[in-house]
Amino acid sequence: MRSLPALLILAVAIAVPIAFGGNSYVMGLMVSALIVAGVALAWALLGNLGGMVSFGHAAFFGVGAYTSAILSAKFGLPVPLALLAGACGAALCSVAMLPALRLSGPYFALAILAYAHIFKILATEATSITGGSAGFQRFPPLPTIMGLDLSSRIGSYCLLVVLVALCAAIYLAVKRSHVGTALRAMAESEDATRVVGVNATLLKAWMLLLSAFITGLFGAMNAHIINFLEPDYAFSASWSILPIIAAIFGGYRTILGPVAGAALIYLFDQIIAKELLPVGHEILLGVLLAGMILIAPNGLFGMFQRKTTKGAAHAAA
Amino acid sequence: MLELLQQSLFSGLLVGSVYALVALGIALTFGAMKIINLAHGELVLLAAYMAYVIESRTGWNPYAAIPLAFAVTGIVSVVIYLLIERIREHRELNSLILTFAIGIILTNAILLVFASDVRSTGSPFLQDAVSFGSVYAMKGEITAFIISLAVMAGLWWWLKHSWYGRAVRAVSSNRDAAKLMGIDPRRVELAAFIVAGILASVAGVALYTMSVVQPALGPGLTIKAFIVTVLAGVGSIPGVFCAALLLGVTEAMTVTLASSALQELVGMVLFLLVLFFMPNGLFGARTRRG
Repeated sequence: MRSLPALLILAVAIAVPIAFGGNSYVMGLMVSALIVAGVALAWALLGNLGGMVSFGHAAFFGVGAYTSAILSAKFGLPVPLALLAGACGAALCSVAMLPALRLSGPYFALAILAYAHIFKILATEATSITGGSAGFQRFPPLPTIMGLDLSSRIGSYCLLVVLVALCAAIYLAVKRSHVGTALRAMAESEDATRVVGVNATLLKAWMLLLSAFITGLFGAMNAHIINFLEPDYAFSASWSILPIIAAIFGGYRTILGPVAGAALIYLFDQIIAKELLPVGHEILLGVLLAGMILIAPNGLFGMFQRKTTKGAAHAAA
Repeated sequence: MLELLQQSLFSGLLVGSVYALVALGIALTFGAMKIINLAHGELVLLAAYMAYVIESRTGWNPYAAIPLAFAVTGIVSVVIYLLIERIREHRELNSLILTFAIGIILTNAILLVFASDVRSTGSPFLQDAVSFGSVYAMKGEITAFIISLAVMAGLWWWLKHSWYGRAVRAVSSNRDAAKLMGIDPRRVELAAFIVAGILASVAGVALYTMSVVQPALGPGLTIKAFIVTVLAGVGSIPGVFCAALLLGVTEAMTVTLASSALQELVGMVLFLLVLFFMPNGLFGARTRRG
């Protein structure tokens, strides 16, 4: 019963290419939705386990994208290694943010927002490395592995499904390990957790690193899928906003919530919102986000989970 | 070169006074509710667009828009307060996300109504240049500076001498003790949000008269205001004022000495340096925010 939503999402993930495999528009949408899903998962990991709200995940996304694109184009690194390097680059730039961990809630959120701005300005100004606002293109696409062309829509889709599932598995493993237990205790009372000998700051640092790594990986994937980068796109605030809305909508305290939320929110934004309001369609996302926080801060899956635990309690009694 | 530096010092001081008004609005609501209103920059922007509406429709001086601007920002500010009030769990973080969402809504609403064009005042009086020795300024900048100072003096008096102002300070320093003294924190918080709305309306109109506005400006304003509050440390109006002038001058100097693209970067680097090395701010209050 508990794994029903997971199986449902998996079934949808498998059904989509079978039903729409030939339709490159739908597959393109799904690929982008999966990118958002990966970032949303990383954001939720930081929010749920680390207890930190980030408005600056676009920084990790952009750094991952540029690192991978530059390494593969200018230094001839094979694309799979470049993707990994992109993720590591994002993790490395999160190291620069570690001092911000000393700050509590709102201060951390704003410090990371400032970081995102800094990285965007740096990418725009460092024209010799990034090509500046003129953009950066001509870097290799995803390779063909075992007969499956990963740069095709279907290939990218399959790879992304595997990656998102992998990240969800890592998230679950961390959550269930003793690190996860310590982090949950920390959310209740950070001081009490410190007293029993947990290095709270270190654990938070690991969560930030892991979250940045995953975000960078998806940023790099996205770069090689669309094969074009410019600072305004790679560091766009959308890469911070969409994952937040996806995670909140689906339920950022669950693992499946951000994934399902990303698919729903991204499709809503692209198909419905952009159709209604070609300019300023993000206003609908804002309304959605505000509404969720006010009405159901635990998100769709959060409500579902709460109901089932209540039901279980009733059954036990 | 020396004249250029003098000029950027002077311009920086003038623009800094408006940053101070924006920052005081954020500091006031943060003090009363321990909540950072991420939509405050958008409130300021909303007021700036009201000035644009009045000027373009009637041809009056943009400062005539202050009552309208205040009505709009005041209402939006109260709505923001009422919405924050409804949050029950994880208030600190959820309210941050909520005001972030309201910021997105306001930015895009402005974009929908006024389009993405850059607007600035067309008033010949405000655009007229005046010289002070070797430095120049637009009359609009001087007016904005004087009005900002006056509003800050008014705020200082309000916090020091009026019942509500003192209640805001009481709730900021110790909420529980203030409750025991018979202060209803909800009314005080509401008062803080309304006064923040007044500050935002004046700041917005001043911004419109001395600079250019566009819909994407909001988050940048919020960040600048937040930078100022961090530089200043918790508490005093003079501290916020000095920090705001410092930010204004630093930005102006960067534009003169390096490039305008680096303007925002320098502000953020300054912010991070202070955050990491002097967490109590330059004009330090005693409490740590750790």
